[in-house]
Amino acid sequence: MSDLETQKRPSVFERKDVKQTVFFWVVFTAIIGYAAAELQARSMGASASETMSTTIHMMRVFTWVAAPVAGLVAAMAMTTLISKIHFGDTPPEEADHEIRNATKLTATWLIVSSVLCLFAVVWGTVVLQKDNAALLNPQAMNVNVTGQQWAWNFDYVDNGTVRSQDLYLPVNKPVVFHITSKDVIHGFWIVQMGIKVDANPGYTTDTSVTPNKIGIYDLRCAELCGLYHAFMQTKVHVVSQGDYDAWIKAQGGQA
Amino acid sequence: MNKRLLGALGTVIIGAGVIAGIGTYVASAKNDSRVLAATPAGTINTPQGNLPHYTLDMSAYPDSMAGSHGTSGGPHPDWVTYGPVTNFQVPAHSVITVTIKQYDSGDRITNDFFASVHGTIDGTATFNGQTAKSVDSTKVGHTFTLHGLSDAQSQLFVSVPLPSLPDADVPDSGYSKTPNTITFSFITGDAGKYVWNCEYPCGDGTIARFGGPMSAQGYMSGNFDVVNA
Repeated sequence: MSDLETQKRPSVFERKDVKQTVFFWVVFTAIIGYAAAELQARSMGASASETMSTTIHMMRVFTWVAAPVAGLVAAMAMTTLISKIHFGDTPPEEADHEIRNATKLTATWLIVSSVLCLFAVVWGTVVLQKDNAALLNPQAMNVNVTGQQWAWNFDYVDNGTVRSQDLYLPVNKPVVFHITSKDVIHGFWIVQMGIKVDANPGYTTDTSVTPNKIGIYDLRCAELCGLYHAFMQTKVHVVSQGDYDAWIKAQGGQA
Repeated sequence: MNKRLLGALGTVIIGAGVIAGIGTYVASAKNDSRVLAATPAGTINTPQGNLPHYTLDMSAYPDSMAGSHGTSGGPHPDWVTYGPVTNFQVPAHSVITVTIKQYDSGDRITNDFFASVHGTIDGTATFNGQTAKSVDSTKVGHTFTLHGLSDAQSQLFVSVPLPSLPDADVPDSGYSKTPNTITFSFITGDAGKYVWNCEYPCGDGTIARFGGPMSAQGYMSGNFDVVNA
């Protein structure tokens, strides 16, 4: 038996390229996790409801949980670029694949991926369920939402026959939206409150939210609906209960 | 030069040329470039003080034989259209008085919201000399609805219904001698780019009658620019 055959092979983790990959994995996970989580949170804007706050928190956690996966892919790509790249006309010898038919590794990868997916599904379902709690709240106010190319209008059905083109809501009061469309499918999206529901012609879809911060927010159509889809925007005015009652009276309604 | 490099360079140049050609075609075909500027009409006293006054005159036709498409009606002579053009320019912080002659028939509007007047001074408009805040929602011909992006510019939402003519008053060729005349005034805010469109479903049979002229610029929609005087 030759010396080469009797020489003990180093373990996978003693190999230089594996050590390099692990190093890049840690670094890339930190960079991707932080950058993606922060970018995502900033792009989602300020929160004007608990629904939005919960959604932003959930997205941060999901991003950090997914970061190691993206980090590993980036690390392997970087290691390959650094140590496996080949120049010249002579092709490299076939790589000596150390990791092949690795049952334990495959099982670990599948289990971890499945756990990550289940984690996302369960948490997302819990958050969605919480969002809709106001649907069963008898104290919630009701607003009928009608989308039409390319405008929104709102009927405050608890306050008489008041209609508006901007949306007015009292702060800290649950509101149930009954959403429909007069023509094509639109998307009812109050950006800073984290609710987005399709407005379908011929159907009424309910959703709810409790705005928790006074201010002016954005309402946009989130479903490509034709020529002026980009202009199908309006404002949401979250005001105190007193200001809301005054506004309703000024519109001829009953506070 | 290396053949591969030459091939790659050629592919990039040809690709860029094709994209530029498509862009030029789309840009030239997307809209009528003509713009109607509002006509000065002195000053006018408003709740916001004495403001410059401008007027705009336009019409809503049952076909495209008038307006910007020429007497042949252009590619879609049977499409309803506004005229004489569909792009307008008005000054900022001014009172704009719009007069529309409405030559078309109509029916029930799908959304009663647009049978009411919104965004004008006093929330009213004048319909054949009668001042009102809304019209019969079962007899609407078209609407003139002006709106813009909600971000970074003044809100400007103005919507006025245009009552329909009875079917018998809309001749098969030519136009009624007695159109409905609708007049309304509103105050512009800061300069910005807005759009206007009709909210009565007067398009072809597609997309819930919001297709055809309702989905193409130059017929029942257009640009509305508010500029610094």
